[in-house]
Amino acid sequence: MGKLKLGIPRALLYYFYYPFWEKLFSELDIELIVSNYTSREQLDKGIKYSISEICVPIKVYIGHVLDLINQGVDYVYIPRIISIKKNIFLCPKFLGLPDMIKNSIPEIENKILTHQITAKDDSLAGFKNYLGMADKLNISKWKLFWALQKANSHWQEHRKTQLQVNIDKKVLTIALIGYVYNIYDRFINMDLLRHLREMGINIVTFEMVDSQIIEQEVKLFPKPMFWEFTNKLLGAGYHFLKSPDIDGIIYVSAFGCGPDSILGSFLEIDANQANKPFMTLRIDEQTGESHLLTRIEAFVDLLKLKKS
Amino acid sequence: MKITFPHMGTTLIFAKLFELFDHEIIMPPRPSKKTIDLGVKHSPEFACFPFKVIMGSYLEAIEAGADTIVTSGGHGPCRAGYYGELHKKILDDFGHQVNFIIFNAPQDNWSKFMENLKKIKAKKSWFNFWRNLKIIYKLAKAIDNVEKIVEQKRAYSPNGEVDLIWKKAKEEFNKINTIDEIEFVETKVKADLDSLSIHLPADKDRIKIGIIGEIYVVMEESINNYIEEKLNSFGVEVERSHYLSDWIDDTFLPFFGESTKIKAKGQQYIKIGIGGHAQESVGRIVDYKDRGFHGVIHLKPFGCLPELVSQSMLDKIAKDLNIPILSISIDEQIAEANILTRVEAFLDMVRQQKSLEERKIKHG
Repeated sequence: MGKLKLGIPRALLYYFYYPFWEKLFSELDIELIVSNYTSREQLDKGIKYSISEICVPIKVYIGHVLDLINQGVDYVYIPRIISIKKNIFLCPKFLGLPDMIKNSIPEIENKILTHQITAKDDSLAGFKNYLGMADKLNISKWKLFWALQKANSHWQEHRKTQLQVNIDKKVLTIALIGYVYNIYDRFINMDLLRHLREMGINIVTFEMVDSQIIEQEVKLFPKPMFWEFTNKLLGAGYHFLKSPDIDGIIYVSAFGCGPDSILGSFLEIDANQANKPFMTLRIDEQTGESHLLTRIEAFVDLLKLKKS
Repeated sequence: MKITFPHMGTTLIFAKLFELFDHEIIMPPRPSKKTIDLGVKHSPEFACFPFKVIMGSYLEAIEAGADTIVTSGGHGPCRAGYYGELHKKILDDFGHQVNFIIFNAPQDNWSKFMENLKKIKAKKSWFNFWRNLKIIYKLAKAIDNVEKIVEQKRAYSPNGEVDLIWKKAKEEFNKINTIDEIEFVETKVKADLDSLSIHLPADKDRIKIGIIGEIYVVMEESINNYIEEKLNSFGVEVERSHYLSDWIDDTFLPFFGESTKIKAKGQQYIKIGIGGHAQESVGRIVDYKDRGFHGVIHLKPFGCLPELVSQSMLDKIAKDLNIPILSISIDEQIAEANILTRVEAFLDMVRQQKSLEERKIKHG
């Protein structure tokens, strides 16, 4: 019998946790298959199986799941990440993700590998979370335990490298606030990062901010948000507002994102008061590239004017 | 202190609560086109619809002189728990000086909760405080009991007699001050409803529709275009998944309320609570099916996080349980004609399915 083929959708938290999953499943002798990069065709398939009102990242996710099924994987890995901090959750759509997929795509129930994750911090390595899955895959507890340890230290190393940023103060620095799956999916944001880099702009994101700074900023807030990644954006966002190195902030938000509608308003009001240029870029399945370019160029021109 | 509060469902209960503590009340006007326009203008584009309507209500109440807003908070993961803070931020930004009294769950912050309670209690004694809470609870129960009968009988009263009694009942309930009076009014209204010459048809000729979804759009009739009255006028009986007294039960007595049982019924589709009432919504569909209802209407504000998760399961549930489900998404652009057309078409389908099933039973 060959290795078990496990599919990981290249969407949502893939962009944050992939190094962890990669190490974990290779240690468990499972062959990982990552879905193809997001494409028009793939997204269209996703849209077909999702309700029209839901946010784009979920439509993208469903597209990736279908892509994996097409590639003939044994299982698609869809964990239910409930919380990665005490009493703080993820968006309801993450909490109901496996339920949603199971009930949206016909005959997929036996192809889903899922388990619940409740953790105290960003690390997903809590042993207990994986017990049910280990039984299902026939993996010994020892093997699982060590694989988790290795995956965790690998991931922690990876996070540390993300923190090392050098800001060149001579050129413009723009902070991109947005969830990993909106910032790093080149299709969904029309290659925003490349466009900015071509204009010679430094980019910072929330992963580059030390988690202690983020937590301090969140503590200053009257009531923390209910969603952990939104809290991270909030902490980083307020840090950027105060930081003189940051010339402007672009808030990248997906159409219909609920948490963004709350955080976005806070940041917008406070950016206005802090006199920090702030722009919201809304992305959806119909965004046109030229529209996006025009807006970025105008924003960058404004920043250049302000800096000189 | 001139108190106002969000307009949701039978507002006379909230008004009575503050009245019993001798506060001055600025009644929030029933949400109208103007309220919605005002709210939409001053809210973030993707805030959910209830947020915008409540924003409009607040602005109207502030214009009428309110200086204190009492509302509920929460700890997520549904956005509604954050409404208070964001409303405050936006109103502050406009330069409106209003106090917010936001009731979060007591276990989140005991001292803050007690401080808020004392503000409401004002000069009354703790004895009076408990007595008043009890009155409010009984009042909510009594009103809901009556409304459940209304929602059933109104289907067979095309000339509006039931509506007349219901309207008068609300006025009577508004005058009460003691528990005895509540009981008196409740008995009287029930007797009035009984005395109407309305004959419920035989069981097989009745059509029952359940309404599920997000609490605000289900309970606030001016926002859902009086969907219950409309359904009744088509000759079908209605029951909602949310009543104020049930909400009180679930919030303060979570283990005694009905909701644990309801949630368990939807286990197969949705494993854990994901915020809002998504789990109850799904459980309710199963419950309505078990109780012989003929169709379910799912209402949600555009972009509602938890209800989007439940909505994505509706097709499968409808197929599994063989019960027609209509999902309506409500926002500032919904038009009455739209809802009417869809409801009418839906009811045709429900009737057709019902007669199909009856034929099947008859012919084996």
